[in-house]
Amino acid sequence: MFSPFDLPEDIFLLITDELPSPADFALCHCLVSHIKEKQNSSLRVVLSVSESLTRWQSILAKSNVNLSQQIAAKTFHFIDITSMALVQTDTDTDKVHGNPFHALYEQISSLLEEGNRDLNPGALVILDDISSLEWIGFSTSDLLRLCRALRVLCLKNQATLIIRHHIVTPGELDPLFRHLHSLCTYHLDIQPLNSGRSGDVSGQIALHSGPNAFPQSAVKTRQRSAALQYRLTDGTAIFFERGSSRGVL
Amino acid sequence: MSSFKRKSSSRTQTLPGTRPSPGSNATTITSTGIPSLDDILGGGLPLSCSFVVAAPDPHSSYGELVQKTFVSQGLACKQDVLVVGSDQDALDWVNGCMWFHSSASSNPSLEEDAEDQKPADEEQKIKIAWRYEQMKQFQTTVGSTSISEDFCRTFDLTTRIPSFTIEKALKDGHLFTCNVLNTLDPTSWSESSSATQAVLLNIEDVLSQRSSKIPNTPLRICIPGLGSYAWGDLRTQDILQFLYQLRAILRRNPLACASIGLESHISTDAWGGPGWIQKLGWMCDGLITLDAFTTNPSLSTLFPSHHGLVHIHTLPSPHTLLPSSDRFSTLRGLSASVAEGGNSSGENNLAFKCTRKRLIFETMHLDVEGGVAERRTVPASSDGVLDNYNSHVSSIPVPKTGLASVEVELDPGSAAKAVPTPSPSHDDTGASVVVEAQAPKPRLKKAKKTVAFWSDRPDLYDF
Repeated sequence: MFSPFDLPEDIFLLITDELPSPADFALCHCLVSHIKEKQNSSLRVVLSVSESLTRWQSILAKSNVNLSQQIAAKTFHFIDITSMALVQTDTDTDKVHGNPFHALYEQISSLLEEGNRDLNPGALVILDDISSLEWIGFSTSDLLRLCRALRVLCLKNQATLIIRHHIVTPGELDPLFRHLHSLCTYHLDIQPLNSGRSGDVSGQIALHSGPNAFPQSAVKTRQRSAALQYRLTDGTAIFFERGSSRGVL
Repeated sequence: MSSFKRKSSSRTQTLPGTRPSPGSNATTITSTGIPSLDDILGGGLPLSCSFVVAAPDPHSSYGELVQKTFVSQGLACKQDVLVVGSDQDALDWVNGCMWFHSSASSNPSLEEDAEDQKPADEEQKIKIAWRYEQMKQFQTTVGSTSISEDFCRTFDLTTRIPSFTIEKALKDGHLFTCNVLNTLDPTSWSESSSATQAVLLNIEDVLSQRSSKIPNTPLRICIPGLGSYAWGDLRTQDILQFLYQLRAILRRNPLACASIGLESHISTDAWGGPGWIQKLGWMCDGLITLDAFTTNPSLSTLFPSHHGLVHIHTLPSPHTLLPSSDRFSTLRGLSASVAEGGNSSGENNLAFKCTRKRLIFETMHLDVEGGVAERRTVPASSDGVLDNYNSHVSSIPVPKTGLASVEVELDPGSAAKAVPTPSPSHDDTGASVVVEAQAPKPRLKKAKKTVAFWSDRPDLYDF
């Protein structure tokens, strides 16, 4: 999964990005590689907070992936958390008993169980993104409970979990990130270049092992000093080593 | 010759004031009314996207100017416009919008530029070497010459929108207004989020009214002054939630787009905490900051031809990974790096200026005679401006003799001009005089001529 890095399955991948270097391409790349490797034999669930299905369809169409067909075949489920999030934040928080994400958890749990029953295990669950939920008013503890519950659910169902988190204060680590990092297997760190935007390099990607990574894993991590650089096109990203972009060679 | 013809979607041709985005046929864009801002956005603002303009300067209203142009453009190209009034009544605010000259030629911007360049050209002919005569003048901005008037009008800031235009738009149901103060329920105004929720309900009402008539007209939603006193005590969470919900509404109604102007006090990290601007950028599709020079006289001295800097935080890309602006924007210059064989020099610095007739976004360059980085051997008098600025904020007491001292630089053939320097450390002892009334002392040695950046002195080449 995620070809330049060859990440294994059944992991919890935490993807962090910043506003000048959004990680949309990484999520699309993971989804496309999962669809192309597993075809219709596994389930994919995208829990979207900010983006609409139209955008996912447009971008994936450029990689020759037809999401409408996947939806019809019930191998792809797009859950728009927006409407659920708005209903929850409209009501008085004192009146909400229990976790506001309980219904969502139940829905994902039933989807994964069905997937394991009807299809092969090895599903993919993407939560895009968790920081927006925090900013519009959900408490950090509720969000962490959701993440822990999703992680356990994915472990039980041999599914891969990917959660996207936005970093808005690059030098400082916010509490939500610290907790997510303690749960993750790998941390994909997408940053903009320090020199600003460029036509040839959109940003750089570093891969760090999380606290739950296996020490004997074959995954090759990359520090920030040896980060892989990428350039965005309309539908995908092109990866290259530092100093080998098309402007240099 | 192949007889196959590509199917072109005719849906976009029926939407007034719009055209397909150059980056993606699935995206329909509409003009903001400012051609250079359209260029920054990659051709225009895509429908179903929200665009936020932050203007942290409390002494100027450039952000409001952008919103007014947005509304004027919507009315000019017969689109539906919804204006949310905050501290001013929405209809009164629309009455203050600008308009275009109906009798003007199709390219008044070119005419103006041609007039400005004519005397310069005549002078330049004498000086420029023959090999450069054929090169065209250095362009710092883009005009709307190649785009039809249906897409983007050339608005004139000296012309106000005619009242009959507004009345007709109201009568025909093209103009909707909503005031924050009217939407507030007096019994519940202790809740800080009631204003934002009420406005969103209003917006949804307007959208549902339009959908019942099966419209094929885009709707522009303009919210100038988000965060002003009329909205109540908004917390950061309320504003982020408002932008989030507004974006969700726009996604459900793909023919609508929104332009939001933030109040000056909420446009900086000082109000929302570290990372506030970034959070705003994540909650909308496009975010720019118009950082005016009004509160910083040193910057306005360094860049006298501009009124502020433009910071781009995020740009809309509703159907692609890469914003179309990265590939098609002339001002930003990212696409130029690819065309020139991959010599990437990064993005251009952008600034804006407000002339008598229009607001222009352009690339920012240092002047021909160099900037502050010019090598000097004595401190230039322009440093006095910086010192004046700094001395206002410092609390170090300045001795009285220092306040009265005057630095005089004698230029051969020109009258001595006194430059007050309150800071004693910058007195050039060879040239200072104690009292202005006295005749200047003859200098022991000639003042070293430095080529520096002075805005108050006559230009070197002005004869």
